[in-house]
Amino acid sequence: MYILQNSFRNIFRNRGRNILIGSIMFVIIITSVVSLMINNTTSSIIEDYKDRFGAEVALVANIQKLRDQAMATSTDGRVRVSPPVIPSEQYISFGDSEYLQGSFYTAYVGVNSGSITAIDADLGGGRDRMIMGGLGGSSQGEVPTLFMMKLLGNKFEDFSKGLREIAEGRMPEKENEIIVSTDLAELNNLSIGDLVFFSSELTDENREVYETYYTLTIVGTYFDITDEYAEGGQKNAYTNRRNEILTGYETVVAPMEAGLGGIEINATYYLKNPELLEAFAEEVYSKGLDPIYDVTTDKASYNKIVGPVEGLKSISITFMTIVLIFGGIIISLLSSIAIRERKYEIGVLRAMGMKKHKVALGLWWEMLMITGLCLLVGITVGTFIAQPISNVLLAHQIEAAEVATSQVSPTGGMMMGSMTNTYINSEVQPLSNVNVSLGLDTIFQIMIIGLLLASLAGIVSISKITKYEPIKILMDRN
Amino acid sequence: MVLQLKDVSYRYEGGKKSVLKNINVTFERGKLYTIVGRSGAGKSTLLSLISGLDICKDGEIIYGGTNLKTLDRDHYRAKSIGVIFQSFNLLTNATAIENIVLSLNISGSKEQDKKEFAYSLLEKVGINRETADRKILKLSGGEQQRVGIARALSYNPDIIIADEPTGNLDRETEAEILNIFTSLAHDEEKCVIIVTHSKKVTSIADEIWGINDGKLLLIK
Repeated sequence: MYILQNSFRNIFRNRGRNILIGSIMFVIIITSVVSLMINNTTSSIIEDYKDRFGAEVALVANIQKLRDQAMATSTDGRVRVSPPVIPSEQYISFGDSEYLQGSFYTAYVGVNSGSITAIDADLGGGRDRMIMGGLGGSSQGEVPTLFMMKLLGNKFEDFSKGLREIAEGRMPEKENEIIVSTDLAELNNLSIGDLVFFSSELTDENREVYETYYTLTIVGTYFDITDEYAEGGQKNAYTNRRNEILTGYETVVAPMEAGLGGIEINATYYLKNPELLEAFAEEVYSKGLDPIYDVTTDKASYNKIVGPVEGLKSISITFMTIVLIFGGIIISLLSSIAIRERKYEIGVLRAMGMKKHKVALGLWWEMLMITGLCLLVGITVGTFIAQPISNVLLAHQIEAAEVATSQVSPTGGMMMGSMTNTYINSEVQPLSNVNVSLGLDTIFQIMIIGLLLASLAGIVSISKITKYEPIKILMDRN
Repeated sequence: MVLQLKDVSYRYEGGKKSVLKNINVTFERGKLYTIVGRSGAGKSTLLSLISGLDICKDGEIIYGGTNLKTLDRDHYRAKSIGVIFQSFNLLTNATAIENIVLSLNISGSKEQDKKEFAYSLLEKVGINRETADRKILKLSGGEQQRVGIARALSYNPDIIIADEPTGNLDRETEAEILNIFTSLAHDEEKCVIIVTHSKKVTSIADEIWGINDGKLLLIK
């Protein structure tokens, strides 16, 4: 106890020296606080975005490849761009991969009904097949069936976004259960429990059409707060969002048979680790995925959003490392000089019978107390200045990223083996603000750094002390 | 017998000549010894060996039946021997009272109120409370010497050794300090060993030893 008390008094007895050591310690700690706060916050942001953009995989038809292929096979001057259908069983088999932590399937199909009337039916129907270079329709010149409504399987994300909500009843839980928009229900006087009949079409590889039927039960209605039509899009019954009939994935794909197309299926796979993309792509191609499809993640969006944050993180860590290295060296040198200066004091203490380890402990306590004080002040000041520093650094990073982006070719390598990708969201904006905060883990890391610095200084002192013999110190002094 | 030196010789590292040669002497409780000799004769070296600050290469120093070489010398310095240095060797940036209290703590003193006990010790050697609360650097040489004496006495050691303890004191204080040493030896049964040039100090000694050419000889 007396060693602790003596160390405490020594801090005030040797004010000048301790202020110098404390100032350097303060600079190191405040730099570490700011750097760690930025680093830990940016790390969690990066991890979050990595999970969102890096782990989510989609199979996207490469439009350029499709067009090239269609042009090459066209015999009558008309080009029909239609991606090969990925059979639902193939989607399922892709999902059975050791590289995935999960899969999510959605499907939709155009439908008509004899028993209910679609909203804006007078605007006509539509369908998704793209016809290029001709008048449209099949090769035989038949007019393709236009659909008035869409049956969507497992497309409930608008509910989580707050764009849609259940007005009455419940969400579909079992096969053949559906919910319809309140507008559609009102127009057709539909009630919960009503059975509704729909027809659709499937086609084989020879474009032979097979009619399919759905008998579905209404279990709920939903409000939709969005516009009926997407901005700039075609306006007809098929594209009207109020005509979307929502159900489970299994219901939509139920009529699907091997070799038949017409139901659009989408799968999103979630990798266990973003680094596994290449291995997963290899696996799905080997399982039969048409090479016209790209296996891709939204790496471009990820880079655009997170790039500046990664730059910020890298700057903060580099800066902290440099400060820690130089700070550590300065602290060691100062401790060494301080011990030389205190040689006489150590000699007196040793002559009085104080053991070497107790002298060393006293010096270590002193360093710990100085460090503790610096930690307290450093963390407080650091908390206040971390945000403005982070803002300035991030602004520079965004600026640098924008300059770099404007100089890079738009066909930059962002997806596997393709030039374009509809999966990429070019609208994304880089993160312009990082809210740095002081977490418990940051405090813990700073305390460890402080303890290591104090110990480093302590080790330097102790190594010096062990070499000193009291008689020699006192004789030198005398 | 409290301390015995058997055939003690000492040579400084790299030195060709022995500073101390075959010293044989026995120090007893209740006696005041003085050691005299020319400057550089080896008096201070002898004291540093006796105080356990240094260790003799040849011969043995026996304290309480144990050779100092095998004894925990830190413990020996902290509890068994009180050293009053010629150059005081006090913690200069601490106060007089802090020096004494620290010494009490190092020795593991069981005093309940160490600070009060330290004040009383300092008063015994003529340092009042106000002076006791001053930093050592702000005390005169004489005052520092008294603090050094108080520190040596603080943990009630068996042996007290002093290197020119009255060199910085005025006559009146010198007499007071010598009275303390005499009392420590004769009344409190301590073994007091003083290295001195002062005839006044030698006059109070029970035994006077002289160092000449590295040898210790009994003068009186």
